[in-house]
Amino acid sequence: MREAQREFAWKVLTYAVLLVATLVTIVPLYWILVAMTLPESAFLSTATEPRLLPGGHFAENFAALQGRVDVAILGVERVLGFELGFLGAIGNSILIATVYTSLSILLCSMAGFAFAKYEFEFKEPIFYSILATLVLPIQLLVIPLFLLMSRLGMTNTYWAIILPWAANPLGIFLMRQNMKSIPDALLESARMDGATEFQVFYRVALPTMKSSLAALSIILFLFQWNLFLFPLVILGQDKYTIPVAISDLIGAQRVYYDQIMVAAGLSIVPIFLLFLFLQKYFVSGILAGSVKE
Amino acid sequence: MTGERGSHDRRTVLKGLGVGGAAALAGCITGGRDDTTDGGDVGMADGVTAWSWDVAAESLDLTDEPYEEANGGSVTVEQFGRADMKDKYKSQLLAGEGAPAIATMESVDAAAWVDTNGLRDISGWIDDAGIKDGFVAGKWGPLEKDGGTYALPWDIGPVGTFYRKDVLESNEIDLTTVETWDQFIEEGKKLPDDQYMINLPSNDYDGLWRMLYRMLGGQPFAEDGAVAFDNDESVAVARTLKRVRDAGIANDVASWSSAWFNAFKEGSIASLNGGAWMEGTLKAELGGTAGKWRVMKPPAFSKGGPRATNWGGSNLVIADQVSDAKAQRAFDYMQFTLASKEQQLKMYQEYGIFPAYEPAYQSEAFDEGHDFLGGQGAGRLFADIAPEIPPYRYTVDTPEVTKAINENFSSMMAGDVSPSEAVSQAAQDVADRTGRDIA
Repeated sequence: MREAQREFAWKVLTYAVLLVATLVTIVPLYWILVAMTLPESAFLSTATEPRLLPGGHFAENFAALQGRVDVAILGVERVLGFELGFLGAIGNSILIATVYTSLSILLCSMAGFAFAKYEFEFKEPIFYSILATLVLPIQLLVIPLFLLMSRLGMTNTYWAIILPWAANPLGIFLMRQNMKSIPDALLESARMDGATEFQVFYRVALPTMKSSLAALSIILFLFQWNLFLFPLVILGQDKYTIPVAISDLIGAQRVYYDQIMVAAGLSIVPIFLLFLFLQKYFVSGILAGSVKE
Repeated sequence: MTGERGSHDRRTVLKGLGVGGAAALAGCITGGRDDTTDGGDVGMADGVTAWSWDVAAESLDLTDEPYEEANGGSVTVEQFGRADMKDKYKSQLLAGEGAPAIATMESVDAAAWVDTNGLRDISGWIDDAGIKDGFVAGKWGPLEKDGGTYALPWDIGPVGTFYRKDVLESNEIDLTTVETWDQFIEEGKKLPDDQYMINLPSNDYDGLWRMLYRMLGGQPFAEDGAVAFDNDESVAVARTLKRVRDAGIANDVASWSSAWFNAFKEGSIASLNGGAWMEGTLKAELGGTAGKWRVMKPPAFSKGGPRATNWGGSNLVIADQVSDAKAQRAFDYMQFTLASKEQQLKMYQEYGIFPAYEPAYQSEAFDEGHDFLGGQGAGRLFADIAPEIPPYRYTVDTPEVTKAINENFSSMMAGDVSPSEAVSQAAQDVADRTGRDIA
């Protein structure tokens, strides 16, 4: 009896904590959704009652945002015959993050596989040197990277923000940890059956890593999605990504909070969808390799 | 609180590392300009680009075509968000590549930008043109370092107290007789509960503090760089701000939001201290209130005390990395635009950008009544204030002063510390975070 009571109390406590955590996470997002449908004076003034339900002002806010921001994407706007406004920035962000994630997943899993399953000279020092670059703050890298890209003739190109972090140290680390859990016997038997080294990697090792790859995709995608300082410095206004375009709404004499809310709200959508599709892999991927079975 | 302080410190350190490391790298990699012809007339480039923001960019757009017609070179103006432009430009100064020939620089940023060693010393050209004495004297300080001059002054922001005459009159308040903060606060108490005399936003105590502290001749840093604002003047300002809050005459609305503009439109906030340029901003955003506004000198701390101070003001700079030909074209345009009565008047009349170039003040345009101010001749009021504005010393650590004042004044407003404690603690915080002494 007492055991059951204690269990019940634990359950209540657990749910209470989870509920609070959920609220803390959701309320700011909900507030963005409400604010994007209200005129600025309705959500920013202490004079009016706080509003908890969405209003009908979204179209006006959206039109104002479109009028202020104008970002192009790969000449799509010329084909369509009209300007894309802020949607161009969303397009750029999706394009850059997608290409980046695909490329980076490939590089990270190959590097991770090599570090986990091959023996070569200076393996450990090389691995830890890569890992050490994790501590370099982005502010420190901006100027050298800008110079590098400038010398390569890549300023104001998408590649300028895709390439520098394509071999992502965190990704390499995660893939190495996960790849270690693949039994050597499995790879060995593939080799005995005549598989080339690439086939061993691609046909045997990678398929067992699905959930880790999904988790890493989200991490990489978000990393690129949130980059601000470097895109600001290296991209021209016609190629701005979401964070940079939003930041441009903060003028010297006017902060367009209503438009910022719309922009922030819209930019949640793609990332929300991504997480929705990959969420079942996400947690299992993070936990994979953390326990030796 | 301590946690916040901790992360603050770490960020400052990281930022310092970043900029320091970047500067070192930039120094190693770039061998200088792409055109190393030294001195002499190398001929001017055909066209240059200028970066700016908001109204400033639009003002430059007023003079680029006249310049092209008169002098033959083209100037392309690119407009950015202000903070974005600063980050982008400063990175490119440090990198030594990618920057446009001309950029707008606020005086408050001058120390940090000059410190990158990425700006061109234009003192020689300024001397050759003989234009230095034309500009308000207090403007040059932040633009100079070790004998070099790194910018040409553009505008200043002599501060006035703009107020809604109609709203105040209907509550039997007459500001024309008000000279001191004591009187101002007393008058403000006549307003009903849902109306406020002034806005005192809790995220920007620093703005009003700096304005009033400068009015009293205060300096945030001593000549040797020590933190110098823990003094009677600074405490007097803090005490006044606290009294304004406690008297219930101040609202708390985020500056520059539409709610903020709306409050001035409805008259629920009846006055606002702003640089001369504020008139243009109000006119653009609140056209419907034209004729209902007036402006006066900001209240003094004691009868007959000083009432001249400044808010804002920009300059134009040339990046050191551009070729001599481009730099010469850039300076030619800057001289045409900034050291010219005619062009400066144009910017003043169109956008209310108040010139730092004194000969412009002789123009009759400064005596004209402004419809927005019900026919009041605000130009002369500001032109009279301009030469009286005390100089002010900005340093690379000016942003730390802003943070420290805001943090400690929040505690003061909450009643946790006294005004003198808040000021002392703010000075101590700046000293701790920057490794400077306290004067």
